[in-house]
Amino acid sequence: MSRRPTVANPRTSLFRRYFLILFGAVVTPLLIAGGSEAWFGYRDQRARLNDLLDAEARLASVKIEDFVEGIRDQLSWTVQLPWSETPGDRRRVEALRLLRQVPAVESLSLVDGQGRERLFVSRIGLNRIDSREDHSAKPAVLGARSDRVWFGPVTFIADSEPFITVAIAGNRAVDGVAVAQVNLKFIWEVISAIRVGQTGEAFVLDQPGRLVAHPDISLVLRADQAAQRPLQALRAAILARPGQAAAGQDIRGNTVMAAMAPIPGLDWSVIVKQPLAEAFGPIYAALWRTGILLVAGTVLAAGLAYWLAQRMVGPIRVLEEGVARIGAGQFDHRITIKTGDEFERLANRFNEMAVELSVSQERSERISRLKRFLAPPVAELIERTGDDGVLDGRRVEVVVVFCDLRGFTGFSSRAEPETIIGVLREYYDVLEKVISDHGATLINYSGDGVMALLNAPVACSDPALRAVNMATAMQEGVQKLINGWRTVEDGLGFGVGLAMGPATVGRIGSEGHLHYTAIGNVVNLASRLCSSAEDSQILLDRIAADAVRSQVPLAELEPRALKGFDQPIPVFAAVTGPAGRPARWERSGRRPSYF
Amino acid sequence: MALAGGLAASWTIPARAQAVPVIGYLGSESPQRYASRLSAFREGLAQTGYVEGRNVSIEFRWAEGLYGQLPALARDLAGRQVAVMVAPGGAEVALAAKAATTTIPIVFEMGGDPIALGVVDSLSRPGGNLTGVSSLSVEVSRKRLEFMREVRPGTKTFAVAINPASPTSGSQLKNLQAAADSLGLNLVVLKASTEEEFDAMFAAVREQGAAGLVFSSDPYFAYRSQLLAELAVRHGVPAMTQSRDFPMAGGLMSYGGDFHQSHRQTGMYAGRILKGEKPSDLPVQRVTKVELFINMKAARPLGISFPSSLLGSADRILE
Repeated sequence: MSRRPTVANPRTSLFRRYFLILFGAVVTPLLIAGGSEAWFGYRDQRARLNDLLDAEARLASVKIEDFVEGIRDQLSWTVQLPWSETPGDRRRVEALRLLRQVPAVESLSLVDGQGRERLFVSRIGLNRIDSREDHSAKPAVLGARSDRVWFGPVTFIADSEPFITVAIAGNRAVDGVAVAQVNLKFIWEVISAIRVGQTGEAFVLDQPGRLVAHPDISLVLRADQAAQRPLQALRAAILARPGQAAAGQDIRGNTVMAAMAPIPGLDWSVIVKQPLAEAFGPIYAALWRTGILLVAGTVLAAGLAYWLAQRMVGPIRVLEEGVARIGAGQFDHRITIKTGDEFERLANRFNEMAVELSVSQERSERISRLKRFLAPPVAELIERTGDDGVLDGRRVEVVVVFCDLRGFTGFSSRAEPETIIGVLREYYDVLEKVISDHGATLINYSGDGVMALLNAPVACSDPALRAVNMATAMQEGVQKLINGWRTVEDGLGFGVGLAMGPATVGRIGSEGHLHYTAIGNVVNLASRLCSSAEDSQILLDRIAADAVRSQVPLAELEPRALKGFDQPIPVFAAVTGPAGRPARWERSGRRPSYF
Repeated sequence: MALAGGLAASWTIPARAQAVPVIGYLGSESPQRYASRLSAFREGLAQTGYVEGRNVSIEFRWAEGLYGQLPALARDLAGRQVAVMVAPGGAEVALAAKAATTTIPIVFEMGGDPIALGVVDSLSRPGGNLTGVSSLSVEVSRKRLEFMREVRPGTKTFAVAINPASPTSGSQLKNLQAAADSLGLNLVVLKASTEEEFDAMFAAVREQGAAGLVFSSDPYFAYRSQLLAELAVRHGVPAMTQSRDFPMAGGLMSYGGDFHQSHRQTGMYAGRILKGEKPSDLPVQRVTKVELFINMKAARPLGISFPSSLLGSADRILE
C-alpha cells in the first residue's frame, strides 16, 4: 500500500516550455513590429530631415535673394528716364533717398547712355555731380548693358568687409546704368534671422567658396580662407550627392547636417546646417521611444507569459500532486481546481477515479481476505460478481469437517522446529489441495487441526457425500505422508470427524481479523467426532451418515459419550476401500455385508 | 525636481561668485558724459549674456577730460589684471590701453582708422591683444563740409574746428583740405583743445567771415556737444559735428557713425572675449551706419532753409 510511484524526472518542465512558447509568441511579433517600425521610422525621419533641410535652404536662399532683389528694385528706379545734357537736381534727390532707404548701398554711381558718370553719391566719400568721367569700359557698365543686371565678384574691402558691385541698366540705352557698391554685411540681418530648428544656421558662400554671410559676422570679416575650408568641403559634399542632406563639419568643428540651395544670378550658395545631434534628435528620440517600448513590451510579455504559464501549469501541478497522492493510496484525497475549464473537468475525473479506486480497493482487500478461507472458485465468484452477500450471517444446513494428527504433540516436543515446520507444511499443502478440490471452505488451522465447511457460504449438491469423499481423500493423502514420516517419527496418525446439521455461518470478528466461520452444535459434534476418531478413521454423525448411507458403505459403531453431549451419540465410520477409496455400493444398491 | 534645482542653484551661486570676471573700463571723460555710450555698451554685454553685478563686474577708470591721465589709468587697470580692458571713445584711449598691456585683451572703440593710427595691423586679423570697433566718424569729416556747403550755398569760406591734441587731427585736416579743394571752398582752420578755447573759436567764425563751422571728428568735441550747441546758438553760428548729441542739444546738424551701434558692438566683443574668444580671432568691425541729424528749430534763427536733397537723406529731423 505504501509503494511510492517513481516518476522519471522530465527533461524539461512544462512551465518552462509554456513560458518560452507564450513569451516567444508575444515577443517575436513585438520585436518584428518594433524593429520594422524603427527601421521605417528612421528612413522616414531621414527623408523628412532631407526635405526639411532642403526646404530651409530654399527658404534661406529666397530670403537672401529678396535682399538682393530689393536692392536691384531700388536701383532700377534710378534708370527709368533718359539722361538729358542739362544736369537736374531731381536725380540727386532720388539717389540720396536711395542711400537713405537702402542702408546696404554705400555708394551709387549713375552713368548716362554714353557711359559717362553723371552722378556719384556716397555715404563716406564726397559726392560728384556731373563729372562726366568715362565709365563705359568698366565691367559693371558693360555687364549691365548686355545682361540688364550685373553682379560683380565679392570683394573684401581692407581684406575684411565684403562688398559687391551691382549694376542695372535701364530699358533703353539712353536711360543709362546705375552702379551701386553694396555692403554685404547687411545680409547679416537676413542670415542671422534664419533659424534651422533650434540652433541650426544658414551661411552663404560665393562661387569661389568665400564666406559672404554668416550669423557670426566676425567669421565673414576675418575673410580667413583657411578657416573657411570646412564650409567649402561641406558644400562639395552636398554637391556630390544632390538632393541629399550631407553630414560634415562646420568652422567650429561641430558635426552638422547641411543642405544647399543656389541663389540664381549671383552664383552663390546658401547652405543651411543643423547640428547632427539636433537634426537626428527626432530620429534618436523615436528610436529611444521604440526601444523603451520594446523593452517594456518584452518585460510585459515575460510577465504575461509567466502568469499564463503559471496559470496553465498551476492546475497541472495540483493535478500531478493529487494524482501522486491518489496513486500512493490516499483515495480520500480530492483535487481542488476551480478554473472552470478542462483542468477542472480533468480534476473531477481524477476525483471520480479516486472514488472508484477506493471502492475497488476496498473490494479487492475484502476479496483477498475472503480468499484466505474460501475455496478459490467461491472467492472468484464473489470477486467476479462483487457481491459478498453470501458471506452474510445466516442459518444453514452445513457439513463440518475436522481433522488432526494423532501423536503430534509428542512429536512436536521432541522434534527440531525445522522438522516440525517442514512436516506441517507438507501436511497443510495436502489438506488445502484436498479441501480446495472438493469445493469446501477452509475455516481455520489450529496447530495440526483443520476445520473445513461444506454447503456454506456457497451451497453445493450432496454436501455430506462431498464431505465423506473429501475426508477419504484427506486420509489417503495424509496417510501417505505419515508413511513417509515413519523414518522420523513412528507414532503419528490422522483422524477425521464430520457432522451435518444446521449452523450459523457468516463473517465474525473485528474489522482487522475478520473470519468466516460456523457456530453451532454441529461444529462441536464434528470436533468431538474428530477427537474420538482413531488413526485412519473417518467418523460421521447420524445425520451425515443418513445422507450418505445409500452411496457410501458405513459401519455403525457403538454410540459414544462425547464431551458436551448429555446422551451418547451414535457414531458411524466410513469404510474405506483397499485402495484407500471409500467403497461404493454397486448400482444394484446392494449394501455392504457387515452393515 | 524643485529640490534638484534648488541644490543646483545653491551649488552654482558660490562658484559663480568666485569666478565673476572683471572688465576694466577706461573712459576719457566722466560717467555722465559717457552715459548713453555706457548703456549701449551694457546692451551689447547683455546680448552675450553678461550683466554687471550678476555675472560680471566692471572696474571704471575715468580721465575726466584730462586725456594725459589715460596712460596711467590704463596701467592701473592692467595692474589689476582685469579679464578684458575696454577702451572706448577715441584713439587716445585705445593707444593708452595698448601701451599699458600686451597680454590683457583690449576692446577699443574709435572714430578713426585703427590701422592708420597704428592700433592694429589689419582689420580682418588684428593680431596681438587688441580688437575693436571703428565708427567711421573720422573718415566722414569731409562729408560734413559737403553738407555745410549745401546748407549755405553761394558761400565759399567755411571754418573747420580741429583739436591739435588729437592723434587724428593731422589726417583729418588734410582730408578736409582736399575736400575743400575739390569742392572749390576756402577753409579757415580753428584750433581748440580745451573748453576754454571754445568761445573764442565760435567768435572767430564770425570774425573770419566763414559761413559755417565744421567740426572735425574728435571725442573731446563729441563729449562736449551740449556746450558746443549752447555756444553755437549764442554766437549764431551754423555748426556741424560728428555726434547726434549736438543737434539734439540745439545745434544745427551732425553727421557721423552711430555711436550706439559702435558701443554696443564693443560690449558684444567684450562679452565674447570673456567667453574665451581670442581678440586676434575677432576682426575689427566698422559700423555700418553713418547718420545725419538735422535740427529744423536751430535753422530758423540762423535763417537757414534745408534743401530737399538734405532733408531726403536725413536719418532724423528734429522739429
